[in-house]
Amino acid sequence: MPLDDDDNPALVAPLAPSSSGSGAGGSSVDAAAQGSPDEGLTAEDLLEDEGAASQDFRLFRKQPGVSAQTIRKGEKDFESHGTRAQADALEQSRAAMHEVLSYTRVHAGSQKNVLRGWYFPDWWRDYEEVVEEAGDGEVEGKEKRPYGHIRDRVVVLEGSSVASKNLGRAVTGQAKDRPARGRDWLLPEEALYLVERGSMDLWWPLKSLEELFPPGTPPETPAGKGLVGEDDEEIDEYELGIPLSLQAAYALLIGNEGDRGKISLQKFQVYSNLKRCGYNVLRAPPRSKSLFSTQPTSLWQWFTNLLTPSPKPVVYPPYGPLILPGLYRSYAPIYRRIALLPRHKPDPNPTFPPVPIEPFAVHFHVWKASQKWTKLRHPPPDFYLAVVDAQESAPPTLREVDALLLSTPYSPYIPPQNNNPQKQQQMLQQGRYLYARLKHGRRHVLVAVVDHGVINYMRFAEAAFGEDGVLWTRFDENVAAAAAGKAGGKKGGGRNNGRGGKSGGKGRGRR
Amino acid sequence: MTAPVAQRRVRISRVAGRFLVFDIDDVVYIRRHHGICAVLTGTMPQNPTQNLFLGLPVELQAEEAQLLVDKGVGYVADELSEHLSLLTSADDTARKAYLQHLKQLRRNAQLAFEEEKANIQAKHQAKRKVAAKPAKAAEGEPSSSSTKPATDSESTSLPDTTCVVPKSPPKESLPAITPTTSSALISVTPSAAATEPPVPSSSPSYLLYRFLNSRGYYFTPGLRFGGDWSVYPGDPFRYHAHYLANYYGWNEEIPMLDLVTSGRLGTAVKKGFLFGAQKPSPAGGEVSDTPKQDSANQGGEVRVFCIEWAGM
Repeated sequence: MPLDDDDNPALVAPLAPSSSGSGAGGSSVDAAAQGSPDEGLTAEDLLEDEGAASQDFRLFRKQPGVSAQTIRKGEKDFESHGTRAQADALEQSRAAMHEVLSYTRVHAGSQKNVLRGWYFPDWWRDYEEVVEEAGDGEVEGKEKRPYGHIRDRVVVLEGSSVASKNLGRAVTGQAKDRPARGRDWLLPEEALYLVERGSMDLWWPLKSLEELFPPGTPPETPAGKGLVGEDDEEIDEYELGIPLSLQAAYALLIGNEGDRGKISLQKFQVYSNLKRCGYNVLRAPPRSKSLFSTQPTSLWQWFTNLLTPSPKPVVYPPYGPLILPGLYRSYAPIYRRIALLPRHKPDPNPTFPPVPIEPFAVHFHVWKASQKWTKLRHPPPDFYLAVVDAQESAPPTLREVDALLLSTPYSPYIPPQNNNPQKQQQMLQQGRYLYARLKHGRRHVLVAVVDHGVINYMRFAEAAFGEDGVLWTRFDENVAAAAAGKAGGKKGGGRNNGRGGKSGGKGRGRR
Repeated sequence: MTAPVAQRRVRISRVAGRFLVFDIDDVVYIRRHHGICAVLTGTMPQNPTQNLFLGLPVELQAEEAQLLVDKGVGYVADELSEHLSLLTSADDTARKAYLQHLKQLRRNAQLAFEEEKANIQAKHQAKRKVAAKPAKAAEGEPSSSSTKPATDSESTSLPDTTCVVPKSPPKESLPAITPTTSSALISVTPSAAATEPPVPSSSPSYLLYRFLNSRGYYFTPGLRFGGDWSVYPGDPFRYHAHYLANYYGWNEEIPMLDLVTSGRLGTAVKKGFLFGAQKPSPAGGEVSDTPKQDSANQGGEVRVFCIEWAGM
């Protein structure tokens, strides 16, 4: 590397923190910061780690306005040209990265305001059957709580906070004498996300759950209240457990695919990426019939289906042209006659949906940020998301995509609200919003591809060219318009723009 | 290789088959001296709602981890088992030391906070002074104002000293701290239990990676441009990627379609499509066969090609 020589002085810099460490702050700030440790610390403390103590001031200071610009200044160059300016710019970036990432998560404020989580990986291990029951209950009664993944919940929250509005779940239906009753339990990704963003302190318990949260205490009481006196709380605190580092949190909460009480690193990266963007994310419930039985065909629907005449199958003569000579007043019958290949028709209620094949299965439900959203009460998800590793999987086969799409509910395109609903209905029938409808598809699912921390989102939709992409209705319109004496501009055509949709090929039958 | 003055042993945490680095000093060290930038993946606690620049941990690719192990500057540690054994062991000396360290950190943090507070107060007072001065200067003659600031500064300096003094005993509640690494808890030396290598040293991906890394190239995952890697001529902080790279085995047949798709795609994003492999070393007389110095390390010569879409 050509830049090594220039790097060396800076490498030494962090070791002599008193001079260089606090370059970011104002000079007067630094002078004050350096003078101070003598006040609070004994001489022994200072001897113990002379350098470290004064460097730490930098570590805990939250720099305002940390952004990508802090690290990467200016335009990138094409290649190294060996100039001092270039080396300096690089060094500046590296130093900025070093400084920004040296920050240590610190929970300021009084002890009671600190959100604390306790790691109890095996508490709900045997909860299985009850969960299944709850899952089934959800199917019948809509007002039931959504599926909770209780078995995977490994971190119990001490006290409540803003975070528990969107994260965690209290397990209801517990006996009165159970410990930690009414407390929120976090899934591994929720806990790790909170630790990582500096909102929660994760603790390894040295006492049992019964001792920490004795039965009968309201959920607000801090841990170990019944166990110890209130004198000398700091010592007692470490009797209860050990605060864990970020590294330890990763070690405990990240696991292989399918481990109970863990989450794979790829899924966690996607989860935290979406959370950082402000989306609400929940683990998808295990596959059940509920998705399909939510919209049962009512008797009335069945009745109307029976009454509406299905188009008669076209009967062709054994030989001769497809379009028999005759009088055609519109394009519709002509196009119907030349549609030789059957088109894909999305089925709103498949009777036997195929089982999704991992990893192409819905892992997360994602909602756009909204005020009304809560962890227990939320509308159907805005997005269904599967997480795939870039190195370990190939592009999905049609079978995989098909099963993946069919595991999401039928959601056709809803046109933007118009102030004239009648006109809108008319526009819909005339084939407006054509491309929007095709792009939206009848079902859609997102696939997050993760390559060592780099995430790419792709959208797969079930396009229905035979239903949405029919252009000849417009031709008839034009004919009608021309007949009325107006010059109908010939619009439409366009390229086959259906991306990834399963019916992309089949849809060609429209011409 | 010759050891630098301060030889670091980078701890590569293996968590569920993935390779993470948590120590910022390690991250900066391997970036500076071993050409490994890898990917920052964590949420930054200072600014947790942005996705542009992320924080620790850094996720290494298996090839990068293997390179550090081969060079002897890093070791792979199985984080889960090490943590569990220390946290659940009966012997609590390590835990005690860790807690002691933590307490020290908390005390330091407390001091830092107090300093910050004092600084802010001082700044406010200074601002007030500055704001007061011009007002007075504008309002009256210099003779009268000369006396006033003196009394002003006296009155402000009084509360300044009084508010600093009582803060010195930071007894009651120290701020809680979540350290980034468990370095104070876990042993820093590599554990005796030999872990399997991140990637076999003979895999074509590793051979090509090692070759390009030794030439000063930086790698990031290739997902953004549809290859195995994006290859940079230097630190990605400064440079754009020059290549999108794929690896192949020496005798592996490369589908023509791969060349066309990657070649076109690479050209479209102003990158060359690079691929290469290491010639398997013939038994024995490999040194005489390949006069080039690139193949100094074991194995045969590495050949690298770059393809550009002609677009004729």
